[in-house]
Amino acid sequence: MKKGMPLLTACLLILLAVLPSAGAAQTQPTRLTLYEGPKTMRSSADARVSVNGYDLFVYDVMVNHEHIWNANTQPVTTPMTYFDFEGTARIRVEMPGLPQAVESAVVQPYACGITPEVEGGAVTFTITEPGQYTVVFNGSVNKALHLFANPLETDVPDPDDPNVFWIGPGEWTMDAIALTDNQTLYLSGGAVLHSIISIANASNVRICGRGLIDGSDYPAWNQPGSYARVPIDVNHSKNVTVEGIGIVNANCWNFNSYSSRNVTVDNVKIISGRQNGDGFTLQSCTDHVIANSFARTWDDSLVIKNYSGSTKGITFRNMQVWTDLAQSMEIGYETDKGLTLDPEISDVLFEDITVLYNFHKPVLSIHNSDDAYVHDIVYRNITVENAFMQGDNGNNKELIEMTLQNSAWSTVRDEFGSIDRVLIDGLTVIHTLEDKVPRSRMSGVGEENRITNVTLRNVSILGKPITTLKDLKLSTDEYCDGIVIE
Amino acid sequence: MKRILSVILAALLLTVHCLAIGEETADLETIVTIVTAPEQTKAERPPCFPDPTADFVPLPETENLALNKTVISGAHTDVYVDRNVNDGKTDTYWESKGFPAEITFDLAGEYSVSTVAVCLNPSSIWEPRTQEIAVQVSLDGEHFTEVAAPEKYQFDAATGNRIRIDFDAAQAAWVKVVFTLNSSSRTGGAQAAEICIYE
Repeated sequence: MKKGMPLLTACLLILLAVLPSAGAAQTQPTRLTLYEGPKTMRSSADARVSVNGYDLFVYDVMVNHEHIWNANTQPVTTPMTYFDFEGTARIRVEMPGLPQAVESAVVQPYACGITPEVEGGAVTFTITEPGQYTVVFNGSVNKALHLFANPLETDVPDPDDPNVFWIGPGEWTMDAIALTDNQTLYLSGGAVLHSIISIANASNVRICGRGLIDGSDYPAWNQPGSYARVPIDVNHSKNVTVEGIGIVNANCWNFNSYSSRNVTVDNVKIISGRQNGDGFTLQSCTDHVIANSFARTWDDSLVIKNYSGSTKGITFRNMQVWTDLAQSMEIGYETDKGLTLDPEISDVLFEDITVLYNFHKPVLSIHNSDDAYVHDIVYRNITVENAFMQGDNGNNKELIEMTLQNSAWSTVRDEFGSIDRVLIDGLTVIHTLEDKVPRSRMSGVGEENRITNVTLRNVSILGKPITTLKDLKLSTDEYCDGIVIE
Repeated sequence: MKRILSVILAALLLTVHCLAIGEETADLETIVTIVTAPEQTKAERPPCFPDPTADFVPLPETENLALNKTVISGAHTDVYVDRNVNDGKTDTYWESKGFPAEITFDLAGEYSVSTVAVCLNPSSIWEPRTQEIAVQVSLDGEHFTEVAAPEKYQFDAATGNRIRIDFDAAQAAWVKVVFTLNSSSRTGGAQAAEICIYE
């Protein structure tokens, strides 16, 4: 008896500890903010979604399942919806747009630990934390539902402030919006704005809200008579904040920052299925933090380039990425497009990144295709749920790729740069094509143009720790030094 | 004794588990805010951005003599060729490579001209800029006479990103527009989406 008493006492303590929290969850009501869709639009016929019994407006947004470049590609649609909440949200999904009744469903990211119930073709599950959730049905990415469960809004700007442009719910269109110093654009949940937003030579600018910027009015940028209309274009600006909104159906890149500094992006959701639909793309920028955001793209998802000067101090943190075409985390190819003196890309951090799917080219890539010195690049806690690189005719299928070669995007063709001090600390790959470890590749170009001091640690692929370069299937050439795995 | 303890432990764990299940299946007390959409039949211009066209610089309502006529210029920047300057579209433009930049129109006939308008894309993403512009006319395409001396003109989206140069009527079969300055930091050349010539 004496022997068993500590165990009994421990159990009682566990019960006492759990009871109050369980009771508190029941007494604290859930707070929901729902947004009607514009009266000019219809909720998707492909998906019906409710939260705690309240129907949500579901948008059909462009995505693309063609995992190879096609200048005249035709996107398809997938359902997307959003709401704000605090507490407990019971989600119910029906998918009349699928060719077959739903028999199974998976909620991603896997790390959220949600096992949905499927009964009578309906999927139900509960979430208690705001976040970006994707539901995949019947083992196929076709018509995957993107569900953006935002936190309740805070710090909503004053609509009577003369420096605030307030766009309420509804469908809106105008050619373009230019924001200048100290201006705020609020895009309410329920708003669909067909326009582009330019922030040029400006400071202290904010874009916020829950609404959508929708580029579906414009043909793809490369089609006759069309041109690139970047939904959010930050150019030579500083102290810019973009938060909460969604960007869908863009006809080119989605979020662009060029030669700007002190830019913060938080909880911005991008879904894109058209030509050159890069997600968050930063050229020659300094001190940017892109966090808590989502990018499903038909071109590189998270991108750093040098177009006019160097890049320094870029952080991508707590991001979800779904890359239907090209690379998920790309540095390059252009690293000195502006032909500047001593170009560098340095102090870059990719942290807590979940790649839901990567279908085409490498997941982690540094393509130093000009003459920049690329150094001090850190990838920390990267999870690749589905590394399905099909490549281009057998090439570009790597998991990790770092190169110094010329490419179609090179501006400097007779000189090369280098890559130095790269740390990959925590890389977990859960599923791969045919359950095989994908190849990886590093190659320099000469004695003065090398890849040096690359450290990999805590790498796991298909549930197995990878502790040798051979197990990683990493090929290097004679111009790589100090490539180690721990 | 171990068995008894095991039973107690199992019961406690079951109780905790049931509490969790009960929480999931109970009606969730929910405070809902629904943000409603306005009645609309089509996409509209956001009210916070009033239509600026009423403040645009007015252009003559007579025929634009430059439209689709032969145009001659020097080097251009990138893809911004001179034929964009009289194609009737303000979302295409010509951009010279450096200064001075001359662009000449063959009117394919002799006219009495008194106004030249230079237009940029009216979109507000074209930030305000100043261009210095002069106008010359000719009857033979070789000997030109200045009818409007170089002057700085302010382009602003608030007034349509367009300016007009009015001068004493002059006979012309050729019109040359000469740019000598552009204050925009984005270019080192002249820019024009449309150049229009009127009697």
